[in-house]
Amino acid sequence: MENKTAYIAMENIVKTFGKVVANNNINFSVNKGEIHALLGENGAGKSTLMNMLSGIYIPDSGSIYVEGKPVVFSAPKDAINAGIGMVHQHFKLVDVMTAEENVILGQKGGLLFDRQDGEKITALAERFELGIDLHKRVADMSVGEKQNLEILKVLYRGARILILDEPTAVLTPQETEKLFRIMRKMKEDGCAVIFISHKMNEVMAVTDKITVLRRGETIQTLNTAETNPQQLTELMVGRPMDLAVKRLEQERGPEAIRVEHLTVKKLEGVPALDNVSFNMYAGEILSVAGIAGSGQKELCEAIAGLQKVDEGHIYFRNEDLVGKSPKEIAAKGISMSFVPEDRLGMGLVAGMDMVHNLLLKQYQNQKGWFLNKKAALVKAEEITEKFEINTPGVRNHPVKNLSGGNIQKVLLGRELDNQPEVLITAYPVRGLDIMTCHKIYDILNEEKKKGVAVLFIAEDLDVLLALGDRVMVLANGEVTGIVDAKTTSKEEIGLMMLGQHQKKEGKHLA
Amino acid sequence: MLKVVKKAESSAGKKVLINVIGILAALLTAAVFLALSGFNPLEVYGAMLKGSFGTHYRFTQTVINAVPLIILSLGISVAFKMKYWNIGAEGQMMMGAFLGAYFALYHSTWPKPVLLVVMLLAGCVGGGLWALIPAWLRAKFNTSEAITTLMLNYVAIKWIVYLQYGPWKDPKAFGFPKMPNFTDSAILPSLGGIHIGWVIALVLVVVIYLFMNHSKAGFEIAILGESENTARYVGINISKTILSAAFISGALCGLTGIIQASAVTNNLSSALASGIGYTAIITAWLSGLSAPVIVIVCSLFAILTQGASYIQTAFGISASVASVLQALILFFVLGSDFFTKYQLVWQEKKKGAN
Amino acid sequence: MKKNWKKKASLLVLTVFSMSLLLTGCGGNDAKPAAPAEEKGDKVTAGFIYIGPANDGGYSQVHDEGRLAMIEAIGADKVETIVQEEVPEDQGIESVMNAMIDNGAEIIFANSFGYMDYVEKVAKANPDVKFMHFSGYLQGENYGNYFGRMYQPRYLTGVAAGLTTENGKIGYVAAMPTPEVIRGINAFTLGVRSVNPEATVQVSWTNTWYDPAVEKQAAEALLDAGVDTIAQHQDSTAPQQAAAERGAYSVGYNTDMSAANPEGYIAAPVWHLGAIYTSQMQSVLDGTWKAESYWGGMDDGVIGLSEFGTCVTDETKAAVKAVQDKILAGEFDVFEGEIKDQNGEVKVAAGEKLSDADMLSMMWFVEGVIGTIPQ
Repeated sequence: MENKTAYIAMENIVKTFGKVVANNNINFSVNKGEIHALLGENGAGKSTLMNMLSGIYIPDSGSIYVEGKPVVFSAPKDAINAGIGMVHQHFKLVDVMTAEENVILGQKGGLLFDRQDGEKITALAERFELGIDLHKRVADMSVGEKQNLEILKVLYRGARILILDEPTAVLTPQETEKLFRIMRKMKEDGCAVIFISHKMNEVMAVTDKITVLRRGETIQTLNTAETNPQQLTELMVGRPMDLAVKRLEQERGPEAIRVEHLTVKKLEGVPALDNVSFNMYAGEILSVAGIAGSGQKELCEAIAGLQKVDEGHIYFRNEDLVGKSPKEIAAKGISMSFVPEDRLGMGLVAGMDMVHNLLLKQYQNQKGWFLNKKAALVKAEEITEKFEINTPGVRNHPVKNLSGGNIQKVLLGRELDNQPEVLITAYPVRGLDIMTCHKIYDILNEEKKKGVAVLFIAEDLDVLLALGDRVMVLANGEVTGIVDAKTTSKEEIGLMMLGQHQKKEGKHLA
Repeated sequence: MLKVVKKAESSAGKKVLINVIGILAALLTAAVFLALSGFNPLEVYGAMLKGSFGTHYRFTQTVINAVPLIILSLGISVAFKMKYWNIGAEGQMMMGAFLGAYFALYHSTWPKPVLLVVMLLAGCVGGGLWALIPAWLRAKFNTSEAITTLMLNYVAIKWIVYLQYGPWKDPKAFGFPKMPNFTDSAILPSLGGIHIGWVIALVLVVVIYLFMNHSKAGFEIAILGESENTARYVGINISKTILSAAFISGALCGLTGIIQASAVTNNLSSALASGIGYTAIITAWLSGLSAPVIVIVCSLFAILTQGASYIQTAFGISASVASVLQALILFFVLGSDFFTKYQLVWQEKKKGAN
Repeated sequence: MKKNWKKKASLLVLTVFSMSLLLTGCGGNDAKPAAPAEEKGDKVTAGFIYIGPANDGGYSQVHDEGRLAMIEAIGADKVETIVQEEVPEDQGIESVMNAMIDNGAEIIFANSFGYMDYVEKVAKANPDVKFMHFSGYLQGENYGNYFGRMYQPRYLTGVAAGLTTENGKIGYVAAMPTPEVIRGINAFTLGVRSVNPEATVQVSWTNTWYDPAVEKQAAEALLDAGVDTIAQHQDSTAPQQAAAERGAYSVGYNTDMSAANPEGYIAAPVWHLGAIYTSQMQSVLDGTWKAESYWGGMDDGVIGLSEFGTCVTDETKAAVKAVQDKILAGEFDVFEGEIKDQNGEVKVAAGEKLSDADMLSMMWFVEGVIGTIPQ
């Protein structure tokens, strides 16, 4: 151990949930003025560990020290009093209030604040260059601004140790850069930042130290300067791993889908999709980039027939799909594996087992009044094997009890089993670990090879660029560009995501 | 300091164990309470069992109590599976009994088998149609069925009161507000000393089990209950599914109504349902909406009701004490459900954080 | 895990203990353990089934008071009673009756109209047991019914009210349009108009037997319409309270309700069911019991008039007393002609009397009643 006392030390932490050991004897420490990454696959125990540090969970055993003194947190309040604040993935902000009001909310005295508070908040925001307009309503803020506001909230409560739980998942590259600047500022100020992520390049770029967790255990703590992504991946996964996402180079086939002037309005009449036109080709992956809520959901649903289209056409082999029922569209060979934010809202029925989820796509073609479950049972076993789905059983085990990656594989497995000609897949790797992500990328490449036209919506720009042949960028329901993935940089995409239309006409590929 | 902590999903066996512990805790609590009130708890519990099974007659009564609960719970379970909160069993029961009673009172000359079949079908239709009103409102305007079904209960009961005091009043009852008794041809026959409703109930348990677990329509109801988006995606006609599930739910409640009117009370009156439609919501829920489990839970409930009534007579225990006993048992069983999902952890409070 | 269990167990015990304390605090105290059947010797056991709680301050309470009066009169060494309260008017009453029989009941009194068909059913299945049903009309070998000629004291309260009212406008909060209620309204009105020929009685239907809130509202509506006296055929005291709040006069029902309107209370027709219960039990003890449709009058003591309230003058008391004496002596019949209905049509010719059957199916109002009978 080092001579100087760590700012925070967690020793021999054990936490179990029922039979599942989430944290097994974990040791972890952070010093002042340090950005420390907590790296690990899903289910490695990162969030559990941090939830104990922020007082949400209580360890079964083990000790936590702040500046060498043992502490016991039995509520988030205790952790905040000890100077520890956590920014969660899901923001806890009141939309109709201003930034300032949100910061003060929940403090002693409620909204009755005096000028001193206002001054203090302004000073904090300036010191860390958070760039927040304190009088702006949360409803009018971008995701990046909201996150900075969350950080400000935590700082205002006196936090000197900041825990950021996958903060970059929802940010554009520009916003990510800004976040990193803030983190460095805090480091200079003597704060400690704990950065949870599984994005290797970000971890390498911003941190001083990295602690790798795997299956609830501490694997190793390394100095960022002395390691590389390859080593980190090996530590995370437990065996050597090829990190590169490979594009399958092949000639694209004939046009599969042609979307013309597609406009979809929300209830309030605001367009969710505004005059969107693009083509999809057989044997090609069309990546779709965009900040969450830029119209991705509506686009998927419009193609699948779930969304009322206000204007425009969607042609599949010169036949307009607009106005057709989801059933008719699916019967033509257009499959959707759409993963909404809660992952189990569409496509899969959370409370049902795998067999019944496969039946969803089969039963309407069966004759008679009764369900024939035999075929689905066989199929379930097949898919389980083919996609290496880890499940206690295909019957009587609701899919909601499976891990995210396995749920995703069930959904993809079912959709691909219908041998579609068009595959629409949204956020297929959200929240999945590296191994599973790569498995899914391989699956998409395989489909592409078979001649399927793939629409691939995701968050990670690196992957969108690496896997897709072309990238279509959506901003506020508009297409701001359709570009060649091979010749476009992340930064260019980032600018388009913020609404800037593509500059160089030459790159435009329709 | 005590903390509530979520735990991993309990296994089926453990859930049963927890529920059994709940019942035991209820009996224990009630025992303390009874002892303090001057009764010997063991004698009282013994009497409750005696009251439900002690004689052939009491056993018969217990079964007669269980039959309507079972059919109502089955009906409610169909709607609840769709997360369609049908609180209207009471009213649907009344309207089923009303339509069935129309044939019993005005076509009593029909041959008995024909009349009975028509009455049972009319019961289904009456309850089903009554349930369609809120279902249609839900499908069309997305109104909360929990409110509309509940409100329609009062409408239905007042309708029966109107008939009882007005057009359907028995002219032979000297002006007393009472509807005529059914003639023999409109009374369901008995099998094994108990009216044939018990056979209908058991057949329906099998039918509903098959319907919910092995039929396409039942599957669609379950999908819709889990996720309306998925249902749309699969191509299910949402409105049609809501309407048909509500109709089935109401039809079973209506059937219960006419069975009760025909076999048990032998006439229609505004007191026909008297709350059983609400009790059935509890039993359906406790059964986890599973048809076979409904039989067990409803039978236990019937035993409890029958036993609680008997101890009043046998021990002179007042009605309120008997109600407290029943409520205690329910409270603990429902409460024990909490422990299948959460556990309490004793947290030693050391030094506070500084 | 083991430690958890210990904590859980101790918590459970704690909960159990505190709950039982709580419960005994508010638990029932009117429980009367009955001696098991085999110990009772040559006592006669009677079952009493009430629609409401035995202490409801009205309908069921008059029955329970009757039961206690009967025990007093005959002697606790000779009779045993089993009471079941709050029995709904559904099929459940059958098991209640059967349980009473299993516990040695030789005669069962059931106090609500809705029990009637079930009483007949159980009576037919148990020919050795006797059944008496209150307010019904069915009769067989071993089952009968009993009621009182409540219209007699109602007439007397009408006389008192007619002499007390200042503006001649009286309101009547009525439960349901049944012959029993209508008969009461008519008798009351006849009483009123025997001393105050121009006075009117305005009827308001509540369609409840016992719902204090509704009944109070009905009384308030009548008071708003200008009546200065409230009469009632309801089991709650709410109409009396409404009258008290407005400083109006009131006529009660079932029991002495003077406490609810101390200033304006006139009187009430009341039940003395001890008389009928005593004679019924005595005949069972003597072995002379026979099924009957008992409809006792004031002369039997099964019904009567409560004490007068403080607002009633001595002259009024004397006038009422005079009529009461005539009724007791059999010299006066309430429904003796000439009686006209609301339309002025003669329903009972001068010198004629209504038969019991006509009274039991009475579905028309006498002249002086304001209101309609819903069909």
